[in-house]
Amino acid sequence: MAEFVAFLIAGVATGAIYALAAIGFTLVWQTSQTINFAQGEFVMLPAVLVLLAVKLLGAPLWLGALVGILAFILVFGLGFKVVVVDPMIRHGVLPLAIATMALSTIMKEGAKDGFSAEAQNFPSFVPTGTVEVLGAAVSLQHAAIIVVALAAIGLLQWFVGGTRLGRQMQATAQNPTVARILGIPVERMVLLTFVINAALAVVASVLISPLYLAKFSNGETIGLFAFIAAIVGGFNQVRGALVGGLLIGVVDSLAAAYVSTQYRLAVPLILLVAIILLKPEGLMGRKEERRI
Amino acid sequence: MSPVLEVHELHKAFGGIKAVNGVSFSVREGEILGIIGPNGCGKSTLFNCILGQLEPTQGTVKLDGRDVTNLRPSALNRLGVSRTFQLLQVFPELSVRENLILAGQEHQGSMLGRLFGARDAGLSGKAAQMIGFFKLGHLADAKAGGLSYGQQKLLDAAMAFMAGPRLVLLDEPAGGVNLTMLGDLKERLRAINAEQGATFVVIEHNMDFVMSLCSRVIVLAEGRMLAEGTPAEVRANPAVIEAYLGH
Repeated sequence: MAEFVAFLIAGVATGAIYALAAIGFTLVWQTSQTINFAQGEFVMLPAVLVLLAVKLLGAPLWLGALVGILAFILVFGLGFKVVVVDPMIRHGVLPLAIATMALSTIMKEGAKDGFSAEAQNFPSFVPTGTVEVLGAAVSLQHAAIIVVALAAIGLLQWFVGGTRLGRQMQATAQNPTVARILGIPVERMVLLTFVINAALAVVASVLISPLYLAKFSNGETIGLFAFIAAIVGGFNQVRGALVGGLLIGVVDSLAAAYVSTQYRLAVPLILLVAIILLKPEGLMGRKEERRI
Repeated sequence: MSPVLEVHELHKAFGGIKAVNGVSFSVREGEILGIIGPNGCGKSTLFNCILGQLEPTQGTVKLDGRDVTNLRPSALNRLGVSRTFQLLQVFPELSVRENLILAGQEHQGSMLGRLFGARDAGLSGKAAQMIGFFKLGHLADAKAGGLSYGQQKLLDAAMAFMAGPRLVLLDEPAGGVNLTMLGDLKERLRAINAEQGATFVVIEHNMDFVMSLCSRVIVLAEGRMLAEGTPAEVRANPAVIEAYLGH
């Protein structure tokens, strides 16, 4: 029992990270039909930038964190939208998707060449240690991941559902033409979703890197699992991405523990195939119709 | 009194095709003006030119004596010109109430106000009034996308009146609406005109709807104005009978 609880909580913790990345997926999809295949690298890079800032500037950690995080949000929130998405989306969703694949390679190789090919320690903001939950020893890092990620998602939900700005963002996603006529600053709203996506990636990066270490290849699994999580949960729902992320995290953790560590990757993929066959709009998604 | 809307010698050409070819008319305060004409006569193009969605080739549009030609739709909206759409345009995942609050220009104001200010932006009362007026009370908290077509048309109209506009342009409000709902819509539009002195222009195919709702009617054919007058005068006009009613 204690063992099961430990695996479950570890799964919820990594699932919360997938959920953060998956929510970013759904946000940029809803406002600008962008599927960001570099999403995993978006989670990998902030930690690398923080360490790089510390190294290059010889700065203390807090300053390095500030510089690294701000630089990331500027370049991969605003810059990504202006430099990659805006010029490519005019040619359709597919060229943009391919451009984000290229971006993912550039980010990964850039991190390898510009920073390090080896995994580097990334400091945690919580002390090492464990707490006991239902007889299982849970690391404080796992507990912190769950608490902070869920708090970030809660804050986002409050913003989207509970503020006027969030409602304008929803209006922009649902009907940009009318939103524009009503005078809602549509462009700014779309930009905001990209900044939120980058901020969510920063949160995920800072939470997961103490466990996975900062490494250029970290984005591969996170990106894939976040993508699966978004599809399983429903690509057009923030709630769906949350449920999908947690589900994939738990399924992956339990599969590794009880099925096979070699074949663990197959289990979320089987779940993905099952969802696509049985409920293509995702567990919580709504059907989207498109005239072609 | 100066007219609310003045359109002067408006032209719009697409390549060699003159979709709108020198149309002039004005709309007085509190008037319901109907614009009719066969398919392809330039009604929608005229509308889009007035609303800043298309740039006229030539001519001017004035709102309360002020030249508003080529202003962007959002700028016109702020000046009090709102519209409904031929194809429905609501925010499907938001409730009826939220749709109305959005239509009431709640997005004015600072970023901080929009983040921490009251979620209804002080528009709940006005939204409730519109919900009552357009008889959507039982649907106030339902998602707009789940409403029937006719109910969405009512919501669309309610949204157009939400910001207390100077002028509302209704693009084929009767299109695809069943007879009962059509009666409701007409009755509500008449009431809002009588009670609030709302001024509007209606583009419509449905002759009965226009003839019974509007105080004045303009007939367009091939981008030009064929006739103008009260519904009775227009009905009796031989050129109109020839071009439109006769078919």
